[in-house]
Amino acid sequence: MSLTETVPQARRRDLRIPLAVVLIVVALAAPYIGSRYVTHSLIIALIFMLPAHGLNLLVGYTGLLSLAQAAFFGIGAYTAGLLAVNYGTPFYVNLIAAALVSGAAALPLGIPALRLRSTSFVMCTLGFVIIGQAIAKNWVSVTRGDMGLSSIPKPYFELGPLSFTVSGTTNFYYLALAVGVLATLAVWAIVRSPAGRNMVAIRENETLAESLGVPTWHYKLIVFMISAMFAGVGGCLYAHYLTVVSPLTFQMYYSTTMLIIVLGGGAGMISGTVFGSLLFVGLTEALRVAPEVRMIAYGACLLVLVFWFKQGFAPLINRFWNAIGGVK
Amino acid sequence: MTHQFNRRMLCISTAILAIAGSVPFTATAQAADTIKLGIVAPMSGPNARYGGFSLRGAELAVKDINDAGGVNGTKIQLFNADSQGTPVEGVSATRRLIDQEGVDFIIGDVSSSVTLAMQPVAEDAEVLLLNAASSNPKITYQAGVGGFKWTYRNYPTDENRALVVAKYAAEQRGFTKFAVLSVDSDYGRSAITFTKKYLPEFKGQILSEDYYKEGEVDFRSVLAKIRDNGAQAIIYYGLADTTPILARQMVELGIAGKVTLIGNGEFNTEKTIKSAPTALEGAVEAAAWLPQFDSPASKAFVEKFTTTYKEAPNNHAYVHWDTVNLLAAAIKQAGSADKSKVRDALSKIKYKSPVGDVTFDDHNQARLPMILLQIEKGVPSIKGAYSADIQYPAK
Amino acid sequence: MLSTVLEQVVNGIVTGSVYAIVAVGMTMIFGVLRAINFAHGEYYMLGTFGAWFAIDYLGLSYEASIIVGVLATMVVAYVVGQLVMSRMVGAPAESGVLATLGIALILQNTVIFVFGGGYKFFSGGYIEPISIFGFSLAQQRILILVVCLVVFVGLELMVTYSRLGMAMRAVSQNVECCEVVGIDVPQVVSRTFILGAALAALSGVLTAPVNVSVYGGMGELITFKTLPIIIMGGLGNVRGTFFAAMILGIAESLVATYVGLQFRDTVGFATLILVLMWRPHGLFSTQARF
Repeated sequence: MSLTETVPQARRRDLRIPLAVVLIVVALAAPYIGSRYVTHSLIIALIFMLPAHGLNLLVGYTGLLSLAQAAFFGIGAYTAGLLAVNYGTPFYVNLIAAALVSGAAALPLGIPALRLRSTSFVMCTLGFVIIGQAIAKNWVSVTRGDMGLSSIPKPYFELGPLSFTVSGTTNFYYLALAVGVLATLAVWAIVRSPAGRNMVAIRENETLAESLGVPTWHYKLIVFMISAMFAGVGGCLYAHYLTVVSPLTFQMYYSTTMLIIVLGGGAGMISGTVFGSLLFVGLTEALRVAPEVRMIAYGACLLVLVFWFKQGFAPLINRFWNAIGGVK
Repeated sequence: MTHQFNRRMLCISTAILAIAGSVPFTATAQAADTIKLGIVAPMSGPNARYGGFSLRGAELAVKDINDAGGVNGTKIQLFNADSQGTPVEGVSATRRLIDQEGVDFIIGDVSSSVTLAMQPVAEDAEVLLLNAASSNPKITYQAGVGGFKWTYRNYPTDENRALVVAKYAAEQRGFTKFAVLSVDSDYGRSAITFTKKYLPEFKGQILSEDYYKEGEVDFRSVLAKIRDNGAQAIIYYGLADTTPILARQMVELGIAGKVTLIGNGEFNTEKTIKSAPTALEGAVEAAAWLPQFDSPASKAFVEKFTTTYKEAPNNHAYVHWDTVNLLAAAIKQAGSADKSKVRDALSKIKYKSPVGDVTFDDHNQARLPMILLQIEKGVPSIKGAYSADIQYPAK
Repeated sequence: MLSTVLEQVVNGIVTGSVYAIVAVGMTMIFGVLRAINFAHGEYYMLGTFGAWFAIDYLGLSYEASIIVGVLATMVVAYVVGQLVMSRMVGAPAESGVLATLGIALILQNTVIFVFGGGYKFFSGGYIEPISIFGFSLAQQRILILVVCLVVFVGLELMVTYSRLGMAMRAVSQNVECCEVVGIDVPQVVSRTFILGAALAALSGVLTAPVNVSVYGGMGELITFKTLPIIIMGGLGNVRGTFFAAMILGIAESLVATYVGLQFRDTVGFATLILVLMWRPHGLFSTQARF
């Protein structure tokens, strides 16, 4: 919030807390309000929200436009899928492993890529997706090539003597919601920390940040790895939910989907990414009413987004939030 | 710039967003008494080149059935849903068909990974899923007695195809040296895996092995390699639209007529043969169907499709057309459109398809006649129809 | 052995020519707009479709269909240029990515909507093989080679001497200064864009006879092939793009022969990443301009 707004005139009642309560109730009761299709759509939104959170840290906070998210998403999905299929490991093990493997993969990829700037960096990160797909296709002994991994078991938990399996759309929704909330809190913690402010400093002026003693190189590399970890977690949920992982998990379409979520919601704003993932899923599903022209309309929506909502929906959300808070 | 923001505008914009957001999730008006059939296929993006034919085939069948008064007097209502060839979109499309449109029957998808992701969804909702174009063996390994009770496949698996082709090439044509050039997908790769399983029986050996990515247009380097390694035949399990490209480049490199194409990839259509007659002469193909197949039903389909859409049908168009008719036959036999009755009818059905009788085994896999053909003097000549039971791996 | 290698090099040069004609348009557009055009392959597709339409529906000859395909694409490019690209001057990179993706989706799926999604076979062109120095090539490929050389010599002259060419170079260096000295920036952008799209369409029509299969989504692959080329060639650099395209064409050809066809599509980005490790601004960019 900028300094000019420090003297709010509280003229109306603050509706923010009631609204937050309503949102929480809706989020918790969603599977009982809407049909299974709604629940499913929300799960998809939650799955894509995770890599989008990671991308938001890169694009929105550090100012690095990356298309590599789909590569890390795919690595996470394969890691979780392979562990679950071959070793039947519990869900949390898969989740942590997916995050760690994706994060670890980001280190050797990030070191050369982050030396590049602007367009070269974008293309280099896109290259990771293309090369990832080729590896998934040709490393048949591990990934089973184009046959992909299928019948990935439902997530199950093992806590001491207790063990239970998450089955059914509703239960999976709560699992995804729990992971999504934790991830959102994690992003919030990162952004609010001094490190988060240093990231913004790098976005605004890298040279200046460097001269003020911010180790920009280390920051960029660590943020790149963290964003990969988020993508890996998303991939883990994806693998368990769809029960199928194929080399096509590595595709630019997913990278751009995540970019659309971040930019559509408003880069550099956590609520923007949350809203963006709902908006994206809502939009693509809404367009299903006209299957023939669906993708044409989707393309047109992208143009509207770029030219009429340059900042995404973040300013709208901000105004909304302030307005219901009675701040004019 | 200061922006005055008032509550009225806020309310209006919120209302619009809320309405827009809830549109996809409101159930459509229930049309009175129709059989609801959903078709999931890639209809946008690069994969639309296969989904486009699927949709048209299904639409044609539905139109014919409805024009003839429907099934048991009930009309079929077709809902199409785009999968873009990706599992996420395919599952979303399936969910929407089931929960919003309320369909009881779904045909889909072309891509195997999408079908595999759709299977548990259909199973969960107890909706009949008929697959008409995916060849991944796993789909029916895990169907029927293998697990998913609601999945049926009216499409041949690669195993039968690979066996028939390898046997004919070795025994009738005497080939022993082969080069592999197949599409880099589960279809191409699994057909080759099965070919490798059977080739030693026929003393065949593979000299080189290459897989091309979908959309590949330049085979000259691989063809040069094949020309130099002395293979007698190219085992090609490829995409229909790639066959003419490959055939033309065989002509270009001067191996047309010296190396024979064997496998599958619509060698038999008029347009493909016309694109490079010399390269396709003698080619051997195992196909589920071909436009020239000599049966009145098949001929009528080709003619109707061509006049309706101004383009010749391909295999994908046929299998989807045929699957809609299969479903109609099952509904007729069940005497009602109740999905579990239809499913039971499907398991017992003996359906007369234009190419021969179709029955389902205990894995819900159709036993389909595989037509073996050879291109002779620019026209496909049918060498026989084979059908074999699939050996399922013991669990 | 040596002759096989040579043959593959020749193959690679022909493939490289196709990429070069598409990529040079993309790189010029980048020069003036600073935007990666993810829709560029779609103009390649539009050109091919225009020519296919001219032959199959209008019954024109292949030569006439080249003109129809290229002109139809230029009309579309004019509309897109006026409505969308002109707004992109000075826009941030990420909005360029999204806007061009949006255009790609619209163009691709409109064609699918109008002509049906199924693949079509292209029937025109000179596909008879001829033999030169012991290599067998389709006549069409010789045509592609010749057109590629003509296009590049022409562009080199245009960029160096013509008014538009000089204006293009000026805009790619400093937009504000151009406006100060009275260069009509939107007009230069629009013309460059139409020229680039027309070149992509030309490449599409020329390769259609050898690539045979025509479908709405065919442009995507070309976009992916040209993206690494324009980076390697040094963004906005016409001559560099030519050599980068040739290098990639030859590399692809050799990989397809000696490693495996399945790795062909990966060659572009793999080479790009290797090149960028060594020269972060591409092979042919003398200084960092962007």
